[in-house]
Amino acid sequence: MAREFQRGHKAKISDLTAGRDLYVGVRIAAPGLTFDISCFGLDAHEQLSDDRYFVFFNQPKSPEESIQLLGAQAGDTESFRVTLDRVPESVHKLSFTATIDGAGQMSQIGPGYIRVVAGGEEVVRYAFDGPEFTTERAVMLGDFYLKDVWRFAAVGQGFDGGLDALLRNFGGEVAEDEPADPPQGAVPAFAPPAQASPPPAFAAPPAPQAPEPPPAFGAPEPPVPAPQPQPQSIHAAPTIAAPMALVAPTGAPPAPQAPMAPQAPYAPGPPPPPAPPPPFGHVPGQGAPPAPPPFGQQPPVPFGQQPPGPPPGAPGVPQGVPQAGAGLLAALQPYKETATGQRWTSQSSQLMRADLTMGDMPVLARQGSMVMYQGKVDFGYKGAGFAGRIVGNATGQEMQLMRCTGRGQVFFAEDGSHLHPVELQGDGICVSAENVLAFDESLQYEVRRIEGHGIPGGALFTMQFHGTGTVVVKTHGTPVVLPVTPTTFADCNAVVAWSSAAQVIISSQVRLRRNAYPGHSGETVNLQFRGAPGNFIVVQPYEV
Amino acid sequence: MNQQLAGYAPTPVTARMENHGHTMLKVAMATGQDLYARTGSMVAYEGFIQYEPNPPAVRQIASQWITGEGTPLMKCSGDGLLYLADYGADVVVVHLNDEALSVNGTNLLAFDAHLTWGVERVKGLAKFAGQGLWNVCVRGTGWVAITSRGTPIVVDCGRGEDETYVDPDALVAWSPNLKVKGKRSFKASSLIGRGSGEAYQMAFSGQGIVVVQPSEDSTDRLRIRN
Repeated sequence: MAREFQRGHKAKISDLTAGRDLYVGVRIAAPGLTFDISCFGLDAHEQLSDDRYFVFFNQPKSPEESIQLLGAQAGDTESFRVTLDRVPESVHKLSFTATIDGAGQMSQIGPGYIRVVAGGEEVVRYAFDGPEFTTERAVMLGDFYLKDVWRFAAVGQGFDGGLDALLRNFGGEVAEDEPADPPQGAVPAFAPPAQASPPPAFAAPPAPQAPEPPPAFGAPEPPVPAPQPQPQSIHAAPTIAAPMALVAPTGAPPAPQAPMAPQAPYAPGPPPPPAPPPPFGHVPGQGAPPAPPPFGQQPPVPFGQQPPGPPPGAPGVPQGVPQAGAGLLAALQPYKETATGQRWTSQSSQLMRADLTMGDMPVLARQGSMVMYQGKVDFGYKGAGFAGRIVGNATGQEMQLMRCTGRGQVFFAEDGSHLHPVELQGDGICVSAENVLAFDESLQYEVRRIEGHGIPGGALFTMQFHGTGTVVVKTHGTPVVLPVTPTTFADCNAVVAWSSAAQVIISSQVRLRRNAYPGHSGETVNLQFRGAPGNFIVVQPYEV
Repeated sequence: MNQQLAGYAPTPVTARMENHGHTMLKVAMATGQDLYARTGSMVAYEGFIQYEPNPPAVRQIASQWITGEGTPLMKCSGDGLLYLADYGADVVVVHLNDEALSVNGTNLLAFDAHLTWGVERVKGLAKFAGQGLWNVCVRGTGWVAITSRGTPIVVDCGRGEDETYVDPDALVAWSPNLKVKGKRSFKASSLIGRGSGEAYQMAFSGQGIVVVQPSEDSTDRLRIRN
């Protein structure tokens, strides 16, 4: 049974699982950012004395293969295989870290986790989320460490520097070139040992989805092409002050100059300065003794590293300058447009860029969904077609489309909903008409209606797409993708899309059921889905 | 219970303005360092902070902006920590370094009182865009917080040779040195109910940036109405 760890929790591996051959999965993601996830094999002094034990994308295994990088799989952004029994004695600690490649900061990340899987079963998980971090650019997620026996600790400690600062913290040198080992191609020779070892000893966790989900929803995020060269940020300096560095904030130059010098009024209770539960968000410089930061997390950003030179005309204000540096451009850097050279690019989870110059075909989009464009783009009217109009006239629900033609880049968004590009390659998908934002004109589509009394408006309109191209689907909130099983039901108001793999004919396989519980209004209409394994449905957490 | 909520405790103050999560702004207030904030945006504060709605200075500068008695800005002064938010919109903190930024009035959350600011009307467009575009141009060295419905995007106009066209409802902010003009993509077909739904855009050209939000809902929820 999986245990949920909080930051700082520790446990013996033997208490978690009897297995010694472990799978470590890390999930960390943020719109527009890429992450380098690596494992440091440290010696007893927590130094990287042997850089062959720095396992990362360029060095995917340690010499005796006790630590191997496996790549993304089973919902994890990155995964490792760790065979504890083969870890050499000189290595006392394996530290798993994630660093942002390029610009960005950890506060932007979405919910993520580090988990340990043994024998195909998850035994421990430490979940984290963006709001736990601020401007960190690297984070130590969790450790395996040897203290009599191997143990696991959920760390969750951030660093303001990037990968190179992390390396320096562990005593490694930052060579401009990557460490000596030549990049080894694919995952090295992992399959055979896995087969040979007792089967349950190591198995990647089962993929959460059914085997062959044609357009894995949300997955076709266009890969960011070349890893941008890590900008030589100002943080490359030795910024890794330990969290306790806050102890003496007096010496820090641009520290807030005691914004509330007569700090008496704030201590609400009788105990004045000594140790109130840091009443004021422990404003540094307040003079209060550094009581342990409230819940033991958030290594405070060391002040010493802020680039000096806050505005001159502002005496006595906590005018620290943001980590990203001063100025308008630095502050807005995280929100820069990302160009990937692909036709469809997610700019963030809520904004999609279509480059009309690629592929040379128009885009059809919901009317009014364009927020910005560059270049010469023409927006024209596009009706729903003859059949669509018949359907539309029957119910007044015609889908209003516009056709974007020309050369340039168009940005689509609507009401801040989450957007998901779904790339079709000869397969099909049905999308509820309200959830279609834009699609390539190369796709064939038809409007269908699913009738049933009880459905608001009399029928549910869906658009079935097939062919080759991209559909952008919008959802309110993060959707869930469910495999279709004999007992899959969805609320007709919340269902967004479902696969229309060739052998499935949705219209005849959707069954409407009326669930009337005692005391229930009986208005709920559920759709049942049936299909061969490999089909899926997408449901949003929002009922229109 | 504390365990689960622990992750949401405020982080130590390192700057005058900081994000707490994506949608909340934390401002370290000090005497003599006043702040202008959107009226009604305060969600919490610690310390002694006073609010002056409708301050005379604002009334003077923003006399055009508002037609009645109320102003959309309040002046905050005092010592302490101030938390601001705008109905869950994303907050972006910008430190101006002797720069200028023109922010849509709806998207302005707070700014340092010592900055130079003025209200201007975007020429030629106010009558087309539903709410009329009132813009606050902030200049100098100091802090500004703007809001955006959803994660915003920043586009560099100087990159391409073409102009950048933005839906006025999705526009958040831009560099004041850009040249702005309105564009009507208006065709005869629009008159017979066959428009593309994109009737008016603002065209930007020159060196600078434009900030756009992924939503076309720019209704001013806090606009003071008479």
